[in-house]
Amino acid sequence: MALKKKKKCSNQIKIALAGNPNSGKTTIFNELTGARQHVGNWPGVTVEKKTGSAYYNNCSLQVVDLPGTYSLGAYSEDEIVARDFLTSDDYDLVLNIINSGSLERNLYFTVQLLEMGVDLIAVLNMADEARKKGIKIDHKILSRMLGVPVVETVASKGKGVENLLAETVENQGLQKDQLKINYGFEIEDLISQIISQLEKSNIQDSVNKRWLAVKLIERDPEAVKLLEREVSKKSAKKIKSLIAKTELKAELDFDSIIIDKKYEFINNIVRKSVTRPAPEEEPDNISDKIDNVVTNKYLGIPIFMTVMWVIFQLTFTLGDPLIGYIETFFEFSGALIGSFLTGFGFSSLIVSFVSDGIIGGVGSVLVFIPNIFLLFLGIAVLEDTGYMSRAAYVMDKVMSKLGLHGKSFIPMIIGFGCNVPGVMATRTLDSKRDRIISILINPLMSCSARLPVYVVFAGALFPNHGGLVVFSLYLMGILLAVIMAGVFNKFLIKGERSHFVMELPPYRLPTFKGVVIHMWEKVGAFIKKAGTIIFSVAVLIWVMANLPVGVEYASAESLIGRFGQLAAPIFAPLGFGSWQAASSLVFGILAKEVVVSTLGVVYAAGEGSLRTVLAANFSPLAAYSFLAMVLIYTPCAATLGAIKSETQSWKWPIISAVYLFVLAWVVSFIIYQGGLLLGIGV
Amino acid sequence: MPLAMMKSGESACIKKITGGRTARGKLTGLGLVCGKEVKIHSDNSGSGPLIIALGDNRIALGRGLAHKIFVDKKGCEK
Repeated sequence: MALKKKKKCSNQIKIALAGNPNSGKTTIFNELTGARQHVGNWPGVTVEKKTGSAYYNNCSLQVVDLPGTYSLGAYSEDEIVARDFLTSDDYDLVLNIINSGSLERNLYFTVQLLEMGVDLIAVLNMADEARKKGIKIDHKILSRMLGVPVVETVASKGKGVENLLAETVENQGLQKDQLKINYGFEIEDLISQIISQLEKSNIQDSVNKRWLAVKLIERDPEAVKLLEREVSKKSAKKIKSLIAKTELKAELDFDSIIIDKKYEFINNIVRKSVTRPAPEEEPDNISDKIDNVVTNKYLGIPIFMTVMWVIFQLTFTLGDPLIGYIETFFEFSGALIGSFLTGFGFSSLIVSFVSDGIIGGVGSVLVFIPNIFLLFLGIAVLEDTGYMSRAAYVMDKVMSKLGLHGKSFIPMIIGFGCNVPGVMATRTLDSKRDRIISILINPLMSCSARLPVYVVFAGALFPNHGGLVVFSLYLMGILLAVIMAGVFNKFLIKGERSHFVMELPPYRLPTFKGVVIHMWEKVGAFIKKAGTIIFSVAVLIWVMANLPVGVEYASAESLIGRFGQLAAPIFAPLGFGSWQAASSLVFGILAKEVVVSTLGVVYAAGEGSLRTVLAANFSPLAAYSFLAMVLIYTPCAATLGAIKSETQSWKWPIISAVYLFVLAWVVSFIIYQGGLLLGIGV
Repeated sequence: MPLAMMKSGESACIKKITGGRTARGKLTGLGLVCGKEVKIHSDNSGSGPLIIALGDNRIALGRGLAHKIFVDKKGCEK
């Protein structure tokens, strides 16, 4: 559908990457653009189109990476993003990324694109994996039968990418004929009748009539909408009744025939262009062997729990010693800068601003970089190996009792990193009801921003059981999410249950580069957040701690003190009715890390001694109750914003803010009062 | 017989797919269409989702959907 252009690089060439999930689109995108972009081995990691640029022989290319999709049917939000872009005409050429190892299924999408008249290059990616299986693809035959150029790549090793760029530049603006599959006498006859009707009703020339006719016979809802938009009501009705009548008369299921004919066409291509060894000569499939264990009925869930436990243990035990070094660094630089500024005769106000406000506030959060780094390393490995979809599979039984299915579990795992992408990842779910429930429970997945709070309290009050305390909080989040999903399912949200079908991609060793890029991106985002939001809030809190003028810094009489005193009675029954704790929770809604930095300011402590102050001010029981509060209560501003934009309504962010606060209060109440009764941790 | 009734290790040919537009559309996209040979990798002991093999692809399939796919254990004609 690209416009005809001169074969010169006078304009920027706009290319789109499209294909099945797990075909390596994002890997190719990274190779082409060099952009820092996560490479996922889980279908649906890309849920929004992403843009980058590339250059080749003085040609400038704009590259758009689309979410993976199996067809143009668009059954979920991420697939709709891809479909809408591909039907928009807003590109010159499509690079259709194909997993060489499963050519047949991938070609189903290719054929749909070609029927629509899309100009594309077929990119046979993962050629090395296919070769290992003994699969040989004859490019010449494939290219001739599809009528498009074919390029082979191994994107994970950067092979063939240069050639792909050359072919892209070479083929931009080449107008090819639209692919026509013969659907048999009855359907072909109907197609030509519809086309002549469309022509009579003065439909715009830009609309591909044959494609529209086929889609109308398939009763594609979007095609019906297009028809109703393009022609008069009368003509639309006429065409629709023509289709209904013809199908009834023929006593055939046209939709099934169209699918069968497409696959027949594809099978013919595959038969002629692909040779593969007889099944018994195929090498052992390691993925299957791993799956036999990992997805085992009894072992599946325990293995998943163990994997998560190991990740959290590593996060905690490996990260902790490193924290010490960073703390020392901030203490040292804080003191150095403080005395430096004092030496230069700056007023004590400025010295306090720098050492208490900035270094105390931002530094107290940056200290946790090692933990954040390790946590994201763990999640990146889960994603890039392909284990994530197995976790979804083993959790399906649990999730289906709650009216969700296994796929809904993946946004939850992503939520461990950050709830914002977690909420966005619900786009891969195809029923609206599943999406809303998954969005509402996602904030219960303990994100990395909450980790600093856990670590500082665990270090202060549970020095010997830190890892266990942190793990128990993560577990508590999962359990509550499961319970709440059940509640929402039963009482609140009605709607169609969706079907569970999901590809289990073969296991892959994560590439060093992929994992590092992924991790660095996330840690970079964390540092950026510390430098922007957390910095601003730290300044705000420092100012509030110094007002009204003349008040003792961060005392009960300061603005922040009065603020905290106002909120404190709400938290008193939970064991942390101090104004310091209350104010940290209020500001924590801006970003959860802020809980730590606020505590740092209001206890007027540097990073090192914050633990000592906390140990003096909290009993272990109160601390655990406080941590439960931090885990559950109102999601941070960014998450609420994501919920708003994903649901297109203020209703759901308000509901989640309110229900989570109430839930947090109740859980903390039970923990604290229950603990008091039993005399634990007092 | 429905695919959902098959046991681990058994193979069969897809004969008919019932169910709504969405269900059929999703299965078609993944390559589950009439005339394809599938093998059950795990029947999950009769409850919960199955894992099936379609060529080199492994697909997790909810039991509900698996009841909508009808197969013939004799296999596909070669």
